[in-house]
Amino acid sequence: MRKTPIYLFLILLAAFVFVPFLWMIITSLKPSFEVMTKIPIWIPQPIRFSNYGKALSSSPFGTYFLNSFFISMLETIFDLTFGAMAAYAFARIDFYGRKVLFLVFLATMMVPGEMMLVPNFITISGWGWTNTYQGLIVPWLISVFTIFLMRQFFLGLPQELFDAAELDGCSHFRILFQIIFPLAKPIWITAGLIKFVGSWNSFLWVLIVANSSSLYTVPVGLLNFTSDFDTVYNQMMAAATCSLLPLVILFLFGQRYFIEGISRTGLR
Amino acid sequence: MILKLRRTVVAYTLLFPSLILLGIFTIYPILDSLYISFFRWDIMSTARPFVGLQNYIHIFTDPLFLQALLNTVEYVVFFVPIVMIVGLLAALLLNSKVRFLSFFRTIMFLPYITSLAATGVLWQWLFNDQFGLVNYFLQAVGLPSQDWLNNQNLTMFTMVLFGVWQNLGYVAVIFLAGLQNVSKEAYEAADVDGASALQKVWHITLPLLSPTTYFVLLLSTIEAFRVFLQVYVLYGQTPGPNNSGMTLLYYMYEMGFNDYKMGYASATAYVLFLITFIVTLIQMTLSRRVHYDQ
Repeated sequence: MRKTPIYLFLILLAAFVFVPFLWMIITSLKPSFEVMTKIPIWIPQPIRFSNYGKALSSSPFGTYFLNSFFISMLETIFDLTFGAMAAYAFARIDFYGRKVLFLVFLATMMVPGEMMLVPNFITISGWGWTNTYQGLIVPWLISVFTIFLMRQFFLGLPQELFDAAELDGCSHFRILFQIIFPLAKPIWITAGLIKFVGSWNSFLWVLIVANSSSLYTVPVGLLNFTSDFDTVYNQMMAAATCSLLPLVILFLFGQRYFIEGISRTGLR
Repeated sequence: MILKLRRTVVAYTLLFPSLILLGIFTIYPILDSLYISFFRWDIMSTARPFVGLQNYIHIFTDPLFLQALLNTVEYVVFFVPIVMIVGLLAALLLNSKVRFLSFFRTIMFLPYITSLAATGVLWQWLFNDQFGLVNYFLQAVGLPSQDWLNNQNLTMFTMVLFGVWQNLGYVAVIFLAGLQNVSKEAYEAADVDGASALQKVWHITLPLLSPTTYFVLLLSTIEAFRVFLQVYVLYGQTPGPNNSGMTLLYYMYEMGFNDYKMGYASATAYVLFLITFIVTLIQMTLSRRVHYDQ
């Protein structure tokens, strides 16, 4: 009983966040004549799943999804590999310049990413990489955040593990990829999820670099969809729902890792 | 000595990909954008004359930039306190041993992992002047409906509401992590003294939470200064009616990627960076005065 006001507030907050999503799904299932009504209709009659088919076939969403998967996957895999290598060096090897270099890495996290847009665009166009996959992907292959997250984890592993491996004559590469990498599963799930979500959702760089729709990712496709079909809200909401679905599923499965990663450092 | 040299070689081999990529796409750009901010650097022409501080002078005499500055500051002033208070409230509620904690947390976190492209489209629909859900709710409580996306006086409200909705769960998760670090003993002592729940929040939780609070303050202020994509998606790739949603970053984007004035855009980026930096510095100095360490 004492907790009634707490639940009341919580439900209110949750409603504020969730009702928009609910309305999106409801709208996406409505026949057109129920979309624009003076009094809101909460239960579509009849339910029109065909909106989804229409929305997805009206522009090449299949291509957009493939592009998004391809780009996000590639960025995540490289980020984890390169990130683990750098993190291992910072955490476990005593070398010349370690402190300074790590500080430089950290400092780059403080600089807003938008500052790099113009010079990176000039670099990419100088290489003739505008409107190519490599132009979209290569600038984002590593993130300092991943290095930081992994370094913290590697620092926490027991020293004996490394001593034993070194006694057996393992090289640092083998220690990293055969012994540490399997052990570090929680951290690469966390880092991988954060990277994947970030890369799936980002679209500013794609807008700048890609100028043919064959390179568009899901968010960019969605933005163009809205400028093409201004008033077909049920189809628009269907497309939006589809664009969110892969991430929501991913998040529901990995949310423990995800939230742990976010709250551990509070940075993206 | 020799051993350390050998270790250094191994380390740099491991660091090689990161160093190259970070060097080309992060460190070089930071320096390069400062450099080209002193040039008239249009992508269309090959002549790129050195213009000294002219770009910077232009920026501060352009009324549109001043409007962008004002809008951005206004956004920061509204967004930061609101998102922090609502986020803290959510975290406090979630921390009070409620059932379905992870359910509520998941719901509140959802907007943060969804792309602005999708949620922007969604909020366009919610703010629709005739059939939007926001106006339905207003009418339901007897208030007049508004033409949200076409009335320049309401632009700031829509931006803040959208921003708070998007970031609330993220702020709450960080606060929640901070709350879970506050020691139980402090509360037990207060229980012995017969303190009420509100007293405990005010006298124990908030002071002990202050490191997290300052962290969130810094983070959300930096975020807020970078507001751009929210407007871009909510207003159909325009800066709102009569530029009412023009922000610093939006201004930079327009200069760089609509007008292709790269030197000018770089100068804008540096101005934005300096403003953020100064504000962060002020906040850090102030926070040192009222900082409680656990």
